[in-house]
Amino acid sequence: MKVSIISIPVKDQEKALQFYTEKLGFLKKVDVPLSEHSRWLTLVSKEEQDGPEILLEPAPNHFEPARIYQNALFEAGIPYTQFNVENVQQEYERLLGLGVEFSITPTEMGTVKIAVFNDTCGNHIQLVQML
Amino acid sequence: MTYYHAEITRIKQICYANKGQIDTVIETRRYITKHFDEAISLELLSHKQFTSKFHLLRLFKKYYGQTPQQYLADRRIEKAKEFLSTGLSVTAVCFNIGFESPASFCTFFKARVGVNPAEFRKRAILTKSE
Repeated sequence: MKVSIISIPVKDQEKALQFYTEKLGFLKKVDVPLSEHSRWLTLVSKEEQDGPEILLEPAPNHFEPARIYQNALFEAGIPYTQFNVENVQQEYERLLGLGVEFSITPTEMGTVKIAVFNDTCGNHIQLVQML
Repeated sequence: MTYYHAEITRIKQICYANKGQIDTVIETRRYITKHFDEAISLELLSHKQFTSKFHLLRLFKKYYGQTPQQYLADRRIEKAKEFLSTGLSVTAVCFNIGFESPASFCTFFKARVGVNPAEFRKRAILTKSE
């Protein structure tokens, strides 16, 4: 077995595509229409284009428990997932300059440094740097 | 303050209060990251941190969840992939990441990545040229 996809629930696929590509810097890999309002939409990291794909899935719009779960996580400030970066402080400043909102500013937690931002599609996402 | 923020603050106080230990393991990891192409032993690492081998091993595992040797292996694989993608030969990559024998490098790489280094190199170059 291999890990090739991680999914992130988003309330609006088009808005998410813009945020994850234009602000975070991911690249679109697969975009296939699945039904009238849904797409199989995946992205990859620019630095690791043959690495795992992120699936931006519209589950909260089609499945009530998914929406409730996503909202509960968001209200608690709990990140849905996390991405690794070389330098959290630099990435924080870059994203802040692009208007991204952070709920946790760069913070050292033992052997890692973290920061948490709002992806504007219903999730908090954590950035992690190994120290 | 969100629930997550409060939890982070609480966990930080409980788990990461010992700055001396944290500095020791961070320094050790940084040394491995920088010197991945050299012969690195637990003895050398502990000597650099003025601590015993077993104490350093325990600390590293406690804070990073893996041993220094496991981290070194990860780092070497990461660098090997990077070098192979630039088109360097398998033998050159083998020595560049601190291996002494191409045969043991190939076995190690295949076990970790699933394909042998020559195949990985071929695919990486093909993907780039597409």
